[in-house]
Amino acid sequence: MKNWIQAFSVIDFISVGILLAAVAMNALRRIESCVRAYTLNSWLLSLLIGIVAFMIGETHLYIAAAVTLLSKGIAIPVFLRRIVRQMKITHDVEPYISNALSLTISGILVAVVYASLKEGIFVAGFSKNVLQISVAVILIGLFIMITRRKAVIQVIGLLFMENGLFLAGFSLTFGMPTIIELGILFDMLMGVIILGMFIIQIRRAFASADLDKLTVLKG
Amino acid sequence: MEIESYLHIGFLFFFSGAMFSLLPGQKTKTYIYILSSIGAAGFAVFGLYLLFTEPRNMFSLPISSVFDFSFCGDGISGFFILVISILAFAVSVYSIGYTRDLDNKGLMGFLFNIFILSMYAVVLSGNIITFLISWETMSIISYFLVTFDRDEKSAKAGLVYAVMTHIGTAFLIVLFMILYRYTGDMGFSGIKGLSSQIPEDMKSLVFIFSIIGFGTKAGIIPFHTWLPRAHPAAPSNISSLMSGVMIKTGIYGFIRISMDIMGPGPEWWGIAIIVIGAVSSILGVMYALMEHDLKRLLAYHSVENIGIILLGIGASMVFRSSGMLALSSLALIAGLYHTLNHAVFKGLLFLGAGSVMHATHTKNMEDMGGLIKSMPYTGLFFLVGSVSICALPPFNGFVSEWLTYQSLLLGFKSTSITSKIISPLGGAALALTGALAAACFVKAFGISFLGMPRSCHAENVKESSLSMIIGMGILALLCLLFGVFPGIVLTIIQPVSFMLTGSHGMAYKGIFIGISETLSTLSPAAILITMIVMSISTLIFILTVGRKKRIIYGDSWDCGIPWLTPRMQYSAAAFTKPVRMIFKRIYLPTRELKVSYLVKPFFVKSIEYSGEITPFFEKYIYDPVTGFIHKLAGKVKILQSGSLHLYLAYILITLILLLIFGT
Repeated sequence: MKNWIQAFSVIDFISVGILLAAVAMNALRRIESCVRAYTLNSWLLSLLIGIVAFMIGETHLYIAAAVTLLSKGIAIPVFLRRIVRQMKITHDVEPYISNALSLTISGILVAVVYASLKEGIFVAGFSKNVLQISVAVILIGLFIMITRRKAVIQVIGLLFMENGLFLAGFSLTFGMPTIIELGILFDMLMGVIILGMFIIQIRRAFASADLDKLTVLKG
Repeated sequence: MEIESYLHIGFLFFFSGAMFSLLPGQKTKTYIYILSSIGAAGFAVFGLYLLFTEPRNMFSLPISSVFDFSFCGDGISGFFILVISILAFAVSVYSIGYTRDLDNKGLMGFLFNIFILSMYAVVLSGNIITFLISWETMSIISYFLVTFDRDEKSAKAGLVYAVMTHIGTAFLIVLFMILYRYTGDMGFSGIKGLSSQIPEDMKSLVFIFSIIGFGTKAGIIPFHTWLPRAHPAAPSNISSLMSGVMIKTGIYGFIRISMDIMGPGPEWWGIAIIVIGAVSSILGVMYALMEHDLKRLLAYHSVENIGIILLGIGASMVFRSSGMLALSSLALIAGLYHTLNHAVFKGLLFLGAGSVMHATHTKNMEDMGGLIKSMPYTGLFFLVGSVSICALPPFNGFVSEWLTYQSLLLGFKSTSITSKIISPLGGAALALTGALAAACFVKAFGISFLGMPRSCHAENVKESSLSMIIGMGILALLCLLFGVFPGIVLTIIQPVSFMLTGSHGMAYKGIFIGISETLSTLSPAAILITMIVMSISTLIFILTVGRKKRIIYGDSWDCGIPWLTPRMQYSAAAFTKPVRMIFKRIYLPTRELKVSYLVKPFFVKSIEYSGEITPFFEKYIYDPVTGFIHKLAGKVKILQSGSLHLYLAYILITLILLLIFGT
């Protein structure tokens, strides 16, 4: 089994899947699809952790994989879907730029990451692609936040960035101690809940969750 | 009893005063000031001990291998502790009555006690870090006290104060870094021992920075702009402490750094201080003369008096650099004597102004008048303070200014031509200052306390409560005591001047004080006796000679107008008009006259007159600087579009640039 994983570069394939789920965000038009893309991204992340746990036989990595699946793969998507339903908004993500341009820039971002991290930190046992992919996911998440008008998408972009960060940390350290990972996950869960509240409050106050309306708040 | 136990008693009482203020319950809050006054008495005894013993370490708490949190004291600290304690005692007594009507008694009591403790901490600090921490604590607590009344004017005054005082602190930090760089020691005594290692030009830099850093706190011109804003904004017991002693910590710091630690410097240091002192005293009193707000007037007088103190200190530095130690000691005694005196009489005047404001609810002199009839004690004590600040015998201001004159005029004994010219010119400046100060207090006292009430504010006022009167009475008594028996004050100042110059400079014998160098003597007690005898004999003369004539009482001549109204009295603006005209090149006055006629030009319906002087330093120095900073900030503000997406884009661009160029 372990040889198979080695032979077919399963880890690389899953990492690329994570990257593709992030890149797909550029082309998606409906908020529900975005949530689905995030769900896919989280599941793949959890799967990756599980496979690495199997490879090196660490028990606490299994726990990390399970908790990731439960929180990022199930709890947060369910919560996000409820927010979208509660807000009763148009389900379009309303990007500032066209899909084609958005995809092109994402591609450039990935290229920049690959070009600049050519001889970075190499971790044995992992493909070095994982680190670059994780940085690329972080940047794409940020890029999504910049180019989408809806507040919900900002949250999803942030979650993508978090997944990227998690992956980067994981690829460098083979998983942090369980207690720290649990702490990070709990923080993020709280963050998402609070952001969800804020979005609903913003909508109530401005009758819109359009972030452009917030510019009147500046001093 | 051990010396330190007085320190501990003092600290304990102030600290428990602060803590009790924080307890819930508002009614008894005014009595915590009794604790403060006992604490001040404890510190006063401690300060006296420090003057007459060897320098000692009080408290040391190691924080890291490089420095420890340490407090130590010597004669200089002892003198300033005594000055702070005297005023703190009187103000504490005054505050019992004064704070009764305040809204937020608990906060006031807490800040009041911590503020006094922080001033003690400043003068007792034994090393650089302890000094800066105490200094900043003092500045921040006083900022909260300036903004104690929650209105827009106080907030603005507080902002100006905070900005100015932090600019000063920035210079102090650089100054201390230079000292540490060349001596490698944090403690003041260690730096003093190694000060010969500092190169000459660096010493001069340290000197200049100490003028700016400590001068900002002391309020020398041109760093004075915060005084006339911050002092009136604070409650009166606080403005009394700020003006009476807080600005003196600037003088303490200057003496500590530029005279104690660095030793005798080149002659131009002293000359520079004399020039700064002369400019501050003349311009300070001139601006004071134009103020009709009682507390702003007093604040400008603080600028003037800091100038007078600096005249003495500057003369001392000049003499010290040319080795004339007896004269140097004399001039230093003059400066320190005036430091003590200014604390006493300016504290008294601010307390008096506080009583007046408390009773009339106005700061504007033009709305007062006739207050001496309804507030006889406040009026009397304010008069004592006014006479003292005008340097008239038999009160204390006279002695210290006489000494300052003597030391400046003895500048002709100096070897260099420059100081031979500059010192007597400083004396001339002091003479002009004295005359203008007298005019100013004739105005301040006359317009506020004499004549008829000028507005409804001044009618039906009540005398202040007993504790307020006692607080002012203590200071008024001290004004007289320090003026009649200068020997007492010399006893506590001479240890300091001997420590810094190694010479006594003055001698006192009974009721006479004498200058060792010139053998001239002064006896204020004799002057007082002469004054009493002369007035009694005049009285007897009038009574015996004048009794034969019958006295007829009648109305004042009213130029044929049916009745006299309060509006016909001399006003403050009118009283100072001649001065405004003489010095119009300095004041740059502007005036506006609006006359509307019923039938031109015979029947006048109404006349509106408004006149003001140009605030030179604000308009030509501070406004351009702040304008420039605002303009720059406006340019930077373009980055702050308020759009979340743009902010995120900044982050993305930064990240990508770091990725490309960082790896």
